[in-house]
Amino acid sequence: MSAIPRRIQRGLLGISLPVYLLLYTPLLIIAVFSFTPSLGHPGMNVAAYGEMLNDPQVMAALRRSLTLALSSAVLGTLLGTLMGFGLSRYRPAKGGGFWVGTLPSLIIYLPIIMPSLVFGISEMIFFNFVHQYTGLLSAGLLTMGIAHVTFQAPYVALVVYARLAGLDPNLFEASHDLYANPFKSFVYLTIPVVRPALIGGFLLAITLSIDDFTISFFTAGPGSVTLPIYIYGAIARKGSSPEINAIGTLMIATVVGVALLYYFVSRHRERSNRIPAVA
Amino acid sequence: MTDAVAAVAGFKKTQVRVERFARTLRLWMTAGPGLFWIILFLLIPSGTLLGIAFLTNSDFGSPVLPLSLGSFSQVAGYGILGWSGANFTTLLRSLLQAGVATIMTILLAYPLVFFIITRPANLRPILLLFAILPSWTNQVVRTYAWMELLSPHAPLARLAQDLGIIPPHLGLMPGNFAVLVGLTYNYLPYMVVPLYAAAEKLDWTLVEAGRDLYASGAKLFFNTVFPQTLPGLLSGIILVGIPAFGDYVVPQLLGGDRAMMLGSLIAGQFTFSPDWPYGAALTLIMLAFTCAGLIVFRRLTQKLGGGEEAML
Repeated sequence: MSAIPRRIQRGLLGISLPVYLLLYTPLLIIAVFSFTPSLGHPGMNVAAYGEMLNDPQVMAALRRSLTLALSSAVLGTLLGTLMGFGLSRYRPAKGGGFWVGTLPSLIIYLPIIMPSLVFGISEMIFFNFVHQYTGLLSAGLLTMGIAHVTFQAPYVALVVYARLAGLDPNLFEASHDLYANPFKSFVYLTIPVVRPALIGGFLLAITLSIDDFTISFFTAGPGSVTLPIYIYGAIARKGSSPEINAIGTLMIATVVGVALLYYFVSRHRERSNRIPAVA
Repeated sequence: MTDAVAAVAGFKKTQVRVERFARTLRLWMTAGPGLFWIILFLLIPSGTLLGIAFLTNSDFGSPVLPLSLGSFSQVAGYGILGWSGANFTTLLRSLLQAGVATIMTILLAYPLVFFIITRPANLRPILLLFAILPSWTNQVVRTYAWMELLSPHAPLARLAQDLGIIPPHLGLMPGNFAVLVGLTYNYLPYMVVPLYAAAEKLDWTLVEAGRDLYASGAKLFFNTVFPQTLPGLLSGIILVGIPAFGDYVVPQLLGGDRAMMLGSLIAGQFTFSPDWPYGAALTLIMLAFTCAGLIVFRRLTQKLGGGEEAML
């Protein structure tokens, strides 16, 4: 790294610090405004947080958001893991033609590259038609969950696939030679190997679900207002308010907290795994 | 003798065929449910949406037969009141905003990434984490934060008022500037991550060699560092440009009427004043630009021979 002269290193620092500042200023502003109505206003208070906790609409929205995130993440992780595993294990290494080689990849990348607005509106229209002709799938948490699984599964598949791609295929040969059937080698070989990817994929799926607004907005029904949709509606109705700032602050704090926790836990585990390997 | 050889060969061939069949069966048993899910809940719905573009709008905004191309002439700007260039302006504005936002993220991400990779190895992951952490918060919350920051009573707007950039008592939003800021902020991490991945594997001996040949400054950067980070840069441009072009939340919250982008125009046709065929035709335009962008950059990446070992 000595290749970069000191003068340029100082310049990099001079640009990077403001960029970090830029990244966190908006988030900090929300937190500040949740304690005080405006900058320079005397006195800080936590009234907005009390208001939030006593607002039944907010609490119901929070419950819905958590239900949606957890249940969709379970199914999304399951479908995604099976996809990532199947494609890395049972697809011919080279080619495989259009039907086995190219098409599955195209399908998996479709939810990732499709603009979320088009994604959301497509599903809204589809659920609308299905409901109109069969009476099933009326817009609500169920349709939102289906949409969330659709964008979670491909991301989980990519994470699991990347993990398995770095694996020696001889391991599977070995388990086969030791008379493990495909089910046994899945349970005793694949699952332990992909466990970090599985946990990472599950957390990613939860984050994606909580992070999403556009797709949720278009697949939601009148009775399935989740937290982001509630905030969006509240901004549209009355602009900013200390209560919205309080909700936003809690959402930011949760994400930051979970991310840091996951980071330090995974780093700690990595380190404790490494020591015996060195010894 | 030859019969026996032929029999063995035939048996082997059958065995290979059976194995290939078993393999394909297992592929469909594992990957099948997920692929089927995406086909049922995304491929078929988006196909339906595109089909609606060729139908006629009923009085209630729902699509009815007969088939027509009327929605496309609406897209081109022909309405009851004659031709209007509003749609072209909106499309151009979307392309321009996405383009400028992408350039902004490149200008911010390069110094940031090179700052991170010149830190000690144990600090790098946490610095990278801090660069992408804000993007994990909800997009509405993030955009709402900029509404607060650019509003008339916030220090930033006060400063602009004092400098005479904007009239007093006005904020820096809504408007094109606010949308640009919002898009840049939202998608900066999507540029940082692929650039970091490329810069981390950088071969510094090339830089040393360049310096030995008395190259310096911009020349050294563009001849040694830049080509090595180009694959990452191209992925970054796709990851930022495409979602920024189709973004809905940012222009909706920070834009207002005079900064409308394609996303808001499309969404309007499905919500307040329904006209599904027109909305679907606009969607088709958005997807066409998205695909064109993807194909161009994919070709470029392939030409450069970017490594995609762990890609599906």
